[in-house]
Amino acid sequence: MADRQEIAEAYSQWRATSNANQRLRKMVRGWDRVIHFRTTDTQEGFTMSVHDQLLSELVFGLEGQPDVIVTGTSEDFCDMFWGDLNPSEKYMSGEITLAGSQQDVMRIDAISMVAFLDR
Amino acid sequence: MTTAAGAEPARRAASVGAGSELRRAMGLRTTVSTSTGLAFAALEYLAAAGLVTYVAGDSAWIAIGVAGLLALLAWGFFGELNGMFPTAAAIRLYMQRAMDDRMALSITFTYMTTIILVIAADAFIVGTALAHALGEPGWVAAVWIAALLAVAVASNLRGVQVAGGLQDVATYTVLAATCVVGIAALVRSHQPLHFPLEPLHGHGVGSFVEAVALGVFLFSAFEWVTTNAEEVRRPHHVHRGMLIAIGILFLVCSLATMAMSHVLDHHQLGSAYPQLDLGRAAFGHVGLWAMAAVTAVTALNTFNGGFITASRFVYGTARQGSLPPLLARLNTRAVPWVPVVALGALSLVVALVVSVTHSWQVLVAVGAALEAMIYAVAAFCTLRLRSREPDRHRPFRVRAVKLLGAAGVAVFGALAIVASVTVGDRTNFVPLVVIVIAGALSALYVVKVVPGLQAAEAARRAATPRRRPPRPPAPGP
Repeated sequence: MADRQEIAEAYSQWRATSNANQRLRKMVRGWDRVIHFRTTDTQEGFTMSVHDQLLSELVFGLEGQPDVIVTGTSEDFCDMFWGDLNPSEKYMSGEITLAGSQQDVMRIDAISMVAFLDR
Repeated sequence: MTTAAGAEPARRAASVGAGSELRRAMGLRTTVSTSTGLAFAALEYLAAAGLVTYVAGDSAWIAIGVAGLLALLAWGFFGELNGMFPTAAAIRLYMQRAMDDRMALSITFTYMTTIILVIAADAFIVGTALAHALGEPGWVAAVWIAALLAVAVASNLRGVQVAGGLQDVATYTVLAATCVVGIAALVRSHQPLHFPLEPLHGHGVGSFVEAVALGVFLFSAFEWVTTNAEEVRRPHHVHRGMLIAIGILFLVCSLATMAMSHVLDHHQLGSAYPQLDLGRAAFGHVGLWAMAAVTAVTALNTFNGGFITASRFVYGTARQGSLPPLLARLNTRAVPWVPVVALGALSLVVALVVSVTHSWQVLVAVGAALEAMIYAVAAFCTLRLRSREPDRHRPFRVRAVKLLGAAGVAVFGALAIVASVTVGDRTNFVPLVVIVIAGALSALYVVKVVPGLQAAEAARRAATPRRRPPRPPAPGP
């Protein structure tokens, strides 16, 4: 199980990588969304948002009305934020579940994939 | 808002368990319109007209009713499976849990060809209908087909998606217009129904079975709405929506079929645009144009749903490592552009082949057989998962699953065989050959190519160092 500190550290790195990626910023243009993450093992919730092509800081707790809800283990989220995990694979195996429109779900996967393409 | 840097323990996700509702969620009305709209493609009119050749026309509703009961059986299976796996990837999940993964992947790829067929069929029908309504020569239909598919591909590449509200309006308008035209055609014929309760009048039992097989096709694709399971407001909306959709489809298809059998001659029933002749019989030239417009609107749902469902599935499968990585490339609008373009190109080729050979009835037969096959597979998976995963949460359960599951496998399997060797009212093995080739290519790909792709992906991962720093060792006791 990953604790909050680990998740915060992983997200912070994901955020910096994503916000510095010009292609990714283009990809989320006009896509302002609120995303909730729920962990199944530690029973915690986190909120991130995308606004003006930038990923926000991570907020502990579920804030606002979400456009997408991602549910998985704290370890999976940590690995995903570090770019060590392919969320599509976990999604196709049912280990990560999502709620939201197909378009929004695609964007999240796009962020996780494109952010680490050049690294 | 509390950021990670200044986290407050008191705010420790107290609301995790509370079901926060999505900002944009599909309600029951849109779930019903999606389910009905996906099933009610332009091909529906041709299948309805084709059904009249098997049974005494006025009583076609009986064959459609029997098919509707079978659709209810399929609804039960998809309802249970969707409840267990409420995700767009459900078909992969329940099939890989119920059977060997290679078999599951082969069947899934074969089933995906149905989407290409339906998109191609809709492009062909709309293109042909528009060319006919405008009084243009037959070859112009090919131009319409190419133009329609080009617009569909371009819209998808730009990430344009039909909004739920517009989809509701489009679907309910198509259904209402079909009902009005059907009723008007019946009333204006000034003739009583001939054999409303005698489906076998002048036909054999075998013909009735073939009519039911084709009737199942009228309901097919109602289950595609399960791929929207992640965006509904309430989970039960999916299976409730599918149930309502089956009821609506029964009413509209029965009415359209009875009206066609009543006012159209044999030549018109066998044409690629019987709905236009039905419109003309009801309201003259205005009716013909109205039905041409309605036919074009049906393509909106088919193209919207078909392109999104298929391209996203291909993308997910490529990301999983079972299809070439090329298919997981995204454009700047986060659209998997290679699957979208490939889908458009394949659909165009199929539509043009159909346009040249006038073999649209083969498309109907292939689609009907593949749909019946996937219903049989759903029955099998429901049955198998009851024993393999008895404790998994099932918000919706099929009653007497041993009996109904076995019946589903047998009945839908038999219907798939019947549909695959029948074109029009004659025995024809072309649909079976098409399905066998598609199935064999899928199986060959899964057995020969997928292991290599997966090995390459595993090697790539092994060669990529982990970015996540190792955890510091836990302090000793």
